[in-house]
Amino acid sequence: MQKLQGIAVSPGVAIGEALVMDTEGFRIPRRFVARDAVIDELERLDKAIAAAAAEIAHHRETVSAELGDKYGAIFEAHLQMLQDARLRAELEEMIRQRHYSPEYAVSRILRRYAQVFQRLESSYLAERANDIFDIEKRLLRHLLGRRREGIANLASPVLILAHNLTPSETANLDRRFVRGFVTEIGGPGSHTAIVAEALEIPAVVGTGPFLTDVSGGELAIIDGDKGLVILQPDEETLASYRHEAEELRIQASKLEPLRDLHAETVDKVRIELLGNIEFPYEVDHCVDRGADGVGLYRTEFLYLGAEIEPTEEVHFQAYSRVVQAMGQKPVVIRTFDLGADKVPNMAAPEDERNPCLGLRSIRLALRNLPLFRTQLRAILRATALGNIQIMFPLVSTLLELRQAKMVLADVMEDLQEHNIPFNRNVPVGMMVETPASVMMIDHFVEVVDFLSIGTNDLIQYTLAVDRSNKDVVGLYNPADPAVLKLIAMAIEAADRKGVPISMCGQMSGSPLYTMLLLGMGLRRFSVSPSSIPEVKNLCRSVTLAECQAVAERVKMMENARDVRSYLKEEVKKYVREIIE
Amino acid sequence: MSESKATRSVVVTDPAGVHARTAVAIAQTVRRGKSRVTLTKGQQRVEATDVLQILTMVAAQGERLEIEAVGPDAAAVLDSLEPLFAGRFADEAQKSV
Repeated sequence: MQKLQGIAVSPGVAIGEALVMDTEGFRIPRRFVARDAVIDELERLDKAIAAAAAEIAHHRETVSAELGDKYGAIFEAHLQMLQDARLRAELEEMIRQRHYSPEYAVSRILRRYAQVFQRLESSYLAERANDIFDIEKRLLRHLLGRRREGIANLASPVLILAHNLTPSETANLDRRFVRGFVTEIGGPGSHTAIVAEALEIPAVVGTGPFLTDVSGGELAIIDGDKGLVILQPDEETLASYRHEAEELRIQASKLEPLRDLHAETVDKVRIELLGNIEFPYEVDHCVDRGADGVGLYRTEFLYLGAEIEPTEEVHFQAYSRVVQAMGQKPVVIRTFDLGADKVPNMAAPEDERNPCLGLRSIRLALRNLPLFRTQLRAILRATALGNIQIMFPLVSTLLELRQAKMVLADVMEDLQEHNIPFNRNVPVGMMVETPASVMMIDHFVEVVDFLSIGTNDLIQYTLAVDRSNKDVVGLYNPADPAVLKLIAMAIEAADRKGVPISMCGQMSGSPLYTMLLLGMGLRRFSVSPSSIPEVKNLCRSVTLAECQAVAERVKMMENARDVRSYLKEEVKKYVREIIE
Repeated sequence: MSESKATRSVVVTDPAGVHARTAVAIAQTVRRGKSRVTLTKGQQRVEATDVLQILTMVAAQGERLEIEAVGPDAAAVLDSLEPLFAGRFADEAQKSV
């Protein structure tokens, strides 16, 4: 049994077969071959070697012809290494004696050779390791055949263990079979985290290096609540987790009847509970949970992993799917919230040493108007199909907001001229996620139709903490009184002006904070769809007076730890199970 | 045809050691002949036709290798192998003429 501690980014417990992906995205399961299949497997190996050899020989010819014999000689060396007699004998031994699959044997043995070179001090010779990896990849490509697209083609449920997952890998995976993710690097805002949450499967990121010890195929447990990964669990651990998974399932089914009930407090104060989504299919999760709308539709997925910038039509199709599924319920579309590095074919900014404080989000949009206008056109066209609202992210000055609204007005003119239908009165709002926007909130409420507090960024910018940095992540805490004070200021200012305000960060989806936020005056929560039942359950268990008393008490506290432990005690009085 | 055995001790003088091209040239030279050839460095003994093995033996400049050939042209094969350890390749010599 091996235990790894990482960062919990998507809750739940998953138990299943581990599938290891190397940095190239190859899956190399440690499969065993049956005794009577050994001959067939050896034949498969020889075919792969022959095919790889033919491929290398072809490369050698073309490279020699184009660049000269000296360059072709590199491929000659690859060819000879591939046809090394002892290598072939070693592979055969692994398959015959240990019954390893050819894929696994190739990976094991060639990596051992590569290590010989990697250990050398001479960088020239250490480079040879790359030749070996190249040969390994070539052989694996031929052995895996059609399956080489990595996780795109799965046939049975798996837990995916990887160094990191690229957006295109996660976009292509087969959702039916992936039961959980673990990545060695990454933090709470990583792409893996977002995708796992969207898929409603447990995920742990930032475990640090461990994949070299894992061959894949073994049993693993992902505890997405505690951020634990357990490889080859012992019987006792396995039994306890199976029990926990069952408990979670029972608890979830108990909350199912809440679907058709409103979120309202015991004293009948109506609370709006909306869903946060990233991918259009998640709108079904919202509908299934009886959400009052989509409070945050993140549009970044349209750009991530794409080869080219998405067209207006691509945007429009995605938005149409979501808005039509929600009927007359509101759908808040947030314009793209990305750095230049994530936008296809965009030149990297020169001074981006600190991306969180750099050219991203609305700042990037205002500097790349064609990109921004394409998205706004698509959103406006979709306003004709339902109840859409437009939200700008990371606004820190009034000038930015005014500029963004001007661009929007300009795009409206354009649509008008072409007689394309849209809703001229589409509500326009902004995220409150910088301390600056809170400080200037009295001015902002004069120019927006609604506000949404984005706690993830607000906490990061207020407390000056990068939450993917394990050395300081302990300081990242929604319960920090400094953060709570800013949230209170925003809610109060919005209430004074009668501007609807919601919260769409992770904080709003945690039942731990539900009472506090209700007591502070929040009436609209936008949470990941899977959190809706729990938050609704809590809303329906408390009175507003009780929540206000909690908020008053918290106001007196001076540190996050006190706030959290107090909230835990309070919330426990109303609901037995509280998942964090 | 008589089976004969020849051995020779060589020192790698090529500054880059026995690199990929050397290994390929060794294997090709041996295949052209009729003798079986092995290379030994310390405790490691490899077939001279196995390029991957020659490379993983990691023979750097200044290191000593024992070459052993068994076959009808044993001595001749060793003669044509020896310049390779100094970084002198037959095909290059031909081309430069």
